[in-house]
Amino acid sequence: MRATLGVLALAVVLAFPAFASTYYIRVLSGVWMFAALASGWNLVGGYAGYPDFGAATFLGIGAYTTGIFMTRLAAPFPVALGASGILAATIAVVMGAILLRLRGHYFAIATLGFMLVAQQVAANLEITGGGSGMNLPIAQSFTAFYYWMLGALCLTLVIGTVFLRSRAGYAIAAIRENQDAARALGIAPLPYKVLAYASSASVFGVVGGVYAYWFTFIDPPTVFDSDFTIQAIVMALFGGAGTPFGPLIGAIVLKSLDTALTSASVFLHNVFFGALVCVLVVFAPRGLASLTDGKGSIREAIRRDLRESGIR
Amino acid sequence: MSDTVALALQDAVNGLLLGGMYAAVAVGFSLVWGILNIVNLAHGALVMLGAYVTYWLFTTYHVDPFLALPLAGCLLFCLGYPLQRLAINRVIRAPLLITFLFTFGLQLLITDLAQIAWTADLRSVTTAYSGRSLVVGPLTVPVVRLAGLAIALGLAELIQLLMTRSRLGSAIRATASDLEAARLMGIPAAQVYSLTFAIAAATAGIAGGLISLSFPIFPAMGPTYTLIAFVVCVLGGLGSVPGAVAGGMTMGVLQTYAAAWLGPNYDDIVAFSVLIAILLLRPGGLFGRARRFRA
Repeated sequence: MRATLGVLALAVVLAFPAFASTYYIRVLSGVWMFAALASGWNLVGGYAGYPDFGAATFLGIGAYTTGIFMTRLAAPFPVALGASGILAATIAVVMGAILLRLRGHYFAIATLGFMLVAQQVAANLEITGGGSGMNLPIAQSFTAFYYWMLGALCLTLVIGTVFLRSRAGYAIAAIRENQDAARALGIAPLPYKVLAYASSASVFGVVGGVYAYWFTFIDPPTVFDSDFTIQAIVMALFGGAGTPFGPLIGAIVLKSLDTALTSASVFLHNVFFGALVCVLVVFAPRGLASLTDGKGSIREAIRRDLRESGIR
Repeated sequence: MSDTVALALQDAVNGLLLGGMYAAVAVGFSLVWGILNIVNLAHGALVMLGAYVTYWLFTTYHVDPFLALPLAGCLLFCLGYPLQRLAINRVIRAPLLITFLFTFGLQLLITDLAQIAWTADLRSVTTAYSGRSLVVGPLTVPVVRLAGLAIALGLAELIQLLMTRSRLGSAIRATASDLEAARLMGIPAAQVYSLTFAIAAATAGIAGGLISLSFPIFPAMGPTYTLIAFVVCVLGGLGSVPGAVAGGMTMGVLQTYAAAWLGPNYDDIVAFSVLIAILLLRPGGLFGRARRFRA
């Protein structure tokens, strides 16, 4: 039953560009893009429980890799895209081996700092065009980006599903729940955390590559942009972090809402995610799921804790 | 004295002047982190707001920027108190990710609103005395920055006195060290937390005002200062005012020497490298006691 539904949904989604207008193709491409980002963030933020606040670093690295490959080396797009994924993952392995040794607060802010570093490096290098950015060739067909984003999403969902059922997935879950206990069971945490981090980074890298070709112009502040990170995090948390399909649901709901808001008011669109985070965090810190199940949720636990400690 | 020595000395002086600003940025950040156990990612956005308050008071009402500083502090205090009281207090005991996400969202929201209201243009506060410098032997000391350093140190001293000598300071420290015991002594925790955050916001506002006197300001300037505040706290040890001053000075001098060697556009890279080096090599901070940074 579920498989049939899945196949049906996939067929509809694949056939969508054949009967939809360009506007809706573009909107839905955006939805798939953010669904891929949210699901990609979920690999490290949800599964491993490491709050990555610098995920946009790898989107930027991917965007620039594709840009450099296509303009400086005249490489075909798929090759450039592959390079984006590989380079993002490689940098993530190197940086992850350092950053993932840090605890929560320190990891979060170090990843954020690393994004500022990457942005500054891109602005200072010559090959990236420095602060004035980089123009990519203009694609023949923009419908292709719909399928590239969809492909990136499907790849991410597959990684997410495989993770859950694999040895590595169990190890990562054990590390998230209790690192010391996992270590006592003979699981060396670092390699697994690096694996989760690099998988997430390669998703961001690939999406960044598609994004660069799609938007044809990139510069440091637009691709190394915390907005991508926060949207991915909020969508993942909204739909349910740590579940394989929650981030997809979160992205579909929130991106649709965001698109509707954009056509109503650009102002609302601009402040939407910032405001949403604040409201969501205060009223439903465990995401959509916690709104439906009242008892035993973290939200209740926090409330109880607050009541008992008398802060509120 | 040879030119190289003079140049190195000049860099050291510039570094200390810059360090004063960093200390002013970090004092409030350190307070919130140490007392409330919240890494406030919106701290840089509060600094930005303080900078704009100073800028607008100066350009619209011709208020001298140094006189605008206390006003910026008061305004940010008035913003900080309800922010903590109505929002952050609700999530103060929530898991790390939640408080992080909240302050991250807040920083985006404030930045976006500032961008809509004031555009992304670079602005600066240029007074009649902005270009003046004291010349001491081979050294040149810009008057504005020297005054800024004095104010930053005064501010740090004030916060230190407040924390160690006043009833409020005792209440804040008591709440931080043992919430339960503090409550039994009749200390209203929610209020203490809100006041702590408001004081930190006020220092951020003043720091922003100081920054607007020496550097261009723009809505997205926040994250860089948040990163610097974090690095300064890691350098100087968490929740300590003298630590924030020492860390700020160290950071300022490092930053200035790095700029002299590498060029001016590498400040985030330097800050990040210092952070990683300290976290991995000296997890207790340069001056602080050993704490657990590692996973």
